Amino acid sequence: MSWLASYGIYVVLVLLVVVFSMGNSRFLTLDNLLLILQQASPLGIAVVGMVFVLLVAGIDISVGASMFFVSTLAGFLLNSSGLLPASWLTDFRGPLLVLVMVLLLGALIGWINGMLVTRFRILPFIVTLATASILKGLGLTLSGSASIGVPALGGLANGRLGAIPNVLLLFALVLIASDYVLRHTVYGRHVMAIGNSARNAERAGIKVNRNTVIAYVICGALGTFAGILSAGQIGSVSAGFGEGNEFIVISAAVLGGTSLFGGKGSILPGAVIGIILVTTIMNGLAMMNASPFIYTIVKGLIIFFAIALDSMGHKGELR
Amino acid sequence: MSDTALRLTNVRKAFSGAPVLHGLNLDLKKGEVLGLMGENGAGKSTLMNIVGGVLRMDDGTMELFDEPYAPRSASNATAKGIAFIHQELNLFTNLTVAENLFIDGFPTNRFGAIDRKEITRIAQQSIDRFSLPVTPDTRVEDLSTGVRQMVEISKALMKHARIMIFDEPTTSLSSREKSALFETIGELKQQGISMIYISHIIEDVLQLCDRITVLRDGQIAGTSPASELSENELIKRMVGRELTQIYPTIEKTISDTVLLEATHLQWQQKVKDVSLKLRAGEIVGLYGLMGAGRTELANLLFGVEQRDAGELAMNGCVMSHVSPSACISQNAAFITEDRRSEGLLMSKPVDDNLSLVKMADLTNRLGVVNVAERASNNRDAIKDLQIKVADPEKQLVSSLSGGNQQKVVFGKWVMKDPKIFILDEPTRGVDVGAKFEIYSIILNLAKRGSAVLFISSELQELMGTCDRILVMKEGSITGDVSKTEFDQERILEMALPGFTLT
Repeated sequence: MSWLASYGIYVVLVLLVVVFSMGNSRFLTLDNLLLILQQASPLGIAVVGMVFVLLVAGIDISVGASMFFVSTLAGFLLNSSGLLPASWLTDFRGPLLVLVMVLLLGALIGWINGMLVTRFRILPFIVTLATASILKGLGLTLSGSASIGVPALGGLANGRLGAIPNVLLLFALVLIASDYVLRHTVYGRHVMAIGNSARNAERAGIKVNRNTVIAYVICGALGTFAGILSAGQIGSVSAGFGEGNEFIVISAAVLGGTSLFGGKGSILPGAVIGIILVTTIMNGLAMMNASPFIYTIVKGLIIFFAIALDSMGHKGELR
Repeated sequence: MSDTALRLTNVRKAFSGAPVLHGLNLDLKKGEVLGLMGENGAGKSTLMNIVGGVLRMDDGTMELFDEPYAPRSASNATAKGIAFIHQELNLFTNLTVAENLFIDGFPTNRFGAIDRKEITRIAQQSIDRFSLPVTPDTRVEDLSTGVRQMVEISKALMKHARIMIFDEPTTSLSSREKSALFETIGELKQQGISMIYISHIIEDVLQLCDRITVLRDGQIAGTSPASELSENELIKRMVGRELTQIYPTIEKTISDTVLLEATHLQWQQKVKDVSLKLRAGEIVGLYGLMGAGRTELANLLFGVEQRDAGELAMNGCVMSHVSPSACISQNAAFITEDRRSEGLLMSKPVDDNLSLVKMADLTNRLGVVNVAERASNNRDAIKDLQIKVADPEKQLVSSLSGGNQQKVVFGKWVMKDPKIFILDEPTRGVDVGAKFEIYSIILNLAKRGSAVLFISSELQELMGTCDRILVMKEGSITGDVSKTEFDQERILEMALPGFTLT
């Protein structure tokens, strides 16, 4: 049973690869596998952020909406706003400035979420549901629900360094850095301790509130970073951009072994294998010419199974 | 410098007006193991919470190594060198032994990374010191309770604890782990660490401690060197008090009809082969110390937990599946130990609480509640039970006193006129006056032909109200004493673990 819990996801991944390659001979090609990694990278970065929040027994469902909001804002700034000098829009300075702004904005969103959760003792699910609604509304106000092109971000999101896509490199950097933080720094160990028992952590003198807020800040910043990369890959931001991404991100984290009850989970390999599994399913469905309406159903089923597995494996109280 | 590690002078504490500690004086000498004994509710945990900085005393002084000591918080007490080893440990199960030892002060290198080599090295020293069967990288979740406790002790030593307080440390230990713990306590003593050892197990306390203090009703009943004490003497000190409380006298008759019968009930390791009978009009007490399995038994009888083996019959019919709703339909009622979280909706008005159980009978076929009937029912209950409430429609249960809250719990059930009552600690946290009223309510229930199982850790109240007392110890019934044979010392002997009747 414990073997299944640790390695079951790899078995599922292999089974899926077998099924999809029987369904379409182009599935198991180097190009397509690289494409899966490329597709997985932006959201994978968001999964890393989510792991931090889940580890302190929180949850952030505003990720999808904040992706939409910051990408819309980025499109607005990089296109017609006139707020940036025209020459910046054609070289690297515009996108770089926007990227820095977006990361700061994401961190701010996370900080607000974290403060509401810790200082005002509001359930994280409700807090982030509310911020999600606000961010979605702000984005729609800005865009008037029209689709905004973001070609300026294409270079970052679709470019390659040699044979390796930029996004994959960025994903790898984020993975290495955050895995280091989680495993080898005091902050990382305190996050694990808080998730295991917030009461004991408080008693041991760990700054529970501060560390929890930092987890939300990390999640917010990485979430918006992921949003920008994803928008750059697509080339435009429509009114539906980012919708449902929070569920992909959460289910990928949970499939990768991170528990919704806190204190249990990993970035390497957890977050990576989780997002690759989810992306493989989406990619495989596309390869098999599944109806686009199936995707939402499949997303729902994935999150359902992921969380059912997590809850069944959880031994403590469900309160 | 005197040889006193901790001195308490005239320590007083009251909870919402009810005094729990009446001016205690206690000395703990350097390098001694002081046993602390007393019945449940004698004030041991309150006292230790004051020493540990969790509670503030109302009056009195404490001195720690000849310096005034007034901890502001638990971590403040830790910093001053006081360590608690609880039954439930404060370790993080998802972290390693080494990480747990350093959780509040990791050594780090220039890059902010934890210095793994250093924490592994020091953790290995602690492990060697107690010859623990672990490596520094073992996760705590993979360790047995005994080893976890040793890790906790190592952690306290690393923080330079000078006083260690053990609160029932052996409850979940195997006998081998227990002797390892006692050996460790001996070593700590050699190193000059002072210890307070709280336990119900007389044998252990006599063997382990230098002196033993007995606490009774918030007062010191005596402190003597262990060598001068015997098991019998300790029991005498623990119970030796006058019957101070007055109990209501209500004439009632016990019929031969058995309303509840349990045979050979078995549940995990907590309830072992328990059989009991409750007759109409009878009040049966169930006495036992903390952890004897009383609450677990009550949960089994009411179907909150499912029994592993045994039979249960209510009103003469055998219940195949016992669940709370099946019991309620058999006219049984369960008043739980924890009325705040289980028995009452604290943030709802008195009226809503009173009609909770009766609600189904007050509705018509469409499910609409007959408000007028509900109100008149509630008025009757408030009058019968003398619940002190100004406006039952608006006043929240949380604003009532403990006693009146408990009466609301009774009222909720009494309305349904149950024939079988299971009461778990119904007078806990209730002041003396309200206790009397609750005893009257219980006696009146029996007078009307109900059978009552009255669970309590206050032996006196059971002796004052019950027709019979069952004694439980380590999951088994060890005694069935009828009213004419009530004797405090004998009953306590039956309840104490590690004490064999002579």
